[in-house]
Amino acid sequence: MVYRYDEQATPPEAEQVTDVAISRYEDVYEVDPGLMVEHVNQQTFPNWDTLRIIDSRHDHLQWMHDHWAHTVISGEEVLRSLDEEPGS
Amino acid sequence: MTTTAPVSQVSDVVLEELVQVLGSDHVLTNVTDRYARTRVPAPFPVHRWRDYVPDLVVMPGSTEEVAEVVRVANRHRVPVVPRDGGTGLTDGARPERRGIVIDVKRMDQIEEIDLQNRTCTVGVGINMLKLNEVLAAHNLIYPDDPASYPCSLVGGRIGTSGWSLIGSRFGHTRDLVLSFDFVLPTGRVIRVGDGGPKTSKSSSGYQLKHLFMGHQGTLGVATRATLKLFPKPEAEFSPFWAFTDFDSAYRTVQALAHAGVATFAGAVLFDEEKVAYLRRDDEAYIPQPGDVRSLVCSVAYGNEDEVRAGAKRLMRIARDHGARYLGDEISEGDWAARHDRYATPLHGRTRANQVVPMSWHCEDAAINWTQLPRVRQEWHRIVARIRERFDAFDDWGMFFYTSASTGVDYLTEIDVGIWEQQLSDEMWEAWVEAKRDIAGVALDAGGSISACHGSCREGEVDLVPTELGGGYDVMLKVKRALDPNNIMNPGKYGLDRAYGPSGDGAGTSETGKEVS
Repeated sequence: MVYRYDEQATPPEAEQVTDVAISRYEDVYEVDPGLMVEHVNQQTFPNWDTLRIIDSRHDHLQWMHDHWAHTVISGEEVLRSLDEEPGS
Repeated sequence: MTTTAPVSQVSDVVLEELVQVLGSDHVLTNVTDRYARTRVPAPFPVHRWRDYVPDLVVMPGSTEEVAEVVRVANRHRVPVVPRDGGTGLTDGARPERRGIVIDVKRMDQIEEIDLQNRTCTVGVGINMLKLNEVLAAHNLIYPDDPASYPCSLVGGRIGTSGWSLIGSRFGHTRDLVLSFDFVLPTGRVIRVGDGGPKTSKSSSGYQLKHLFMGHQGTLGVATRATLKLFPKPEAEFSPFWAFTDFDSAYRTVQALAHAGVATFAGAVLFDEEKVAYLRRDDEAYIPQPGDVRSLVCSVAYGNEDEVRAGAKRLMRIARDHGARYLGDEISEGDWAARHDRYATPLHGRTRANQVVPMSWHCEDAAINWTQLPRVRQEWHRIVARIRERFDAFDDWGMFFYTSASTGVDYLTEIDVGIWEQQLSDEMWEAWVEAKRDIAGVALDAGGSISACHGSCREGEVDLVPTELGGGYDVMLKVKRALDPNNIMNPGKYGLDRAYGPSGDGAGTSETGKEVS
């Protein structure tokens, strides 16, 4: 248990992304802990739980797309087709 | 929070009669069940919750049981408050005078799916998401899509006459509900709708459906509804675009609405304050470059070939207006999140920029496109003034959503974070005054106080007679005619004045004339 705790409760080094946000995993952002010292207590949080929450969020969003429509049209594809039009 | 509740005003006789109607399992008297039904999600001072604890909660299972409950209440002059999810934002489900809360969530059956006529008939306690899971097996959908989509109920949508995120394509609740059974304050059951139970247009007699929608439970209880169904869309297109200034985004959103794209289901404009708010906490916007100052998103649903054709036109319009497409990942992720805004963990900032837990107070209005910049400026000024006085308020920016496919008007929304646990009576009074000012700006701009929530919360409610003009006097007459004993959700919309200052039936109108 001690081994698991030490390894999994130590987050990767944070990168300051903006003046109010940090990042520890690619494309995952957190409020700068420096902004949470007076009214919100910091908690020890297992790394796997951070990633589980992110994955769950993505699962939920995908579920919502499937719920509302069978297919999602890619805006990037639409934009490419516009760029390929003569005279564009 | 205290664990005690006020002594019940409901007599043992009433309790016994209700138990006879429903059985003891469906008459709830314990503190937990009652406290769970004191409020709606809109922030309110915690120390005042106990003022609105109902005396008891009933959970009927049928129209006839609802009618019997209402008859008992009417006979004993006990207030009755329908609660259909309690997700509304204007205190419609809050029991102002305590009494009996009718919780409809047991009435969640799907009674019929009519594949030939494309309707379904349901108990009003059903949630739209759960309904659509069943309809999906038939490749059908009921496209009523509020921000509370996963948790609100069909009955709440009727009581609110709700606004739908994709109403520009499919219509709003008023258009999607064809008819419903309705228990009047005397216990009489009627069926109201667009003619027959499954017809969508009738010219026969008075059109009562709209009267019995959006009344916030003041005229009775809807129990069973017949709904209009659509094919489940083959395709969705939901682009988000960035702009370097609000004015460009403002022009773009209306150009999209004006385009006449048949699959266009809506467009949303984010102002600079909203983008600044998202830049604090939202994973999609934190990494955006600093010159992103305003946003627009649009959405289209329908058959794939039609959506693809419309998508090309919408994308071209945005590009020609100087938009920068934010990419598929942000666009698709953010749109999917819009169906479920009640699930967002909320926090705001003090003036010293410290994070605090805050609840979401959403003020909405219906405003014409030409008036949006003016309303935006004045609303932000109002919120800035209250934030200067109290650290418990935070401006989370504004959204503007198309209400129709033509761009005629927009659901205009300012989101205000409120540190609910800190709300004192003084702060609440200041907020009520701010809400009154916000509603006043909407009316001065020729709009309506609310496109979506209703307008019976403190502050805004004072201006409803101004908005409705002589129509408010008609409202008073209707209320008194249908609810002679003022039992149905009393204290809402200022309707007590229909019964006179002492509640003796000598009602006066807003203009001081006798009502009867």
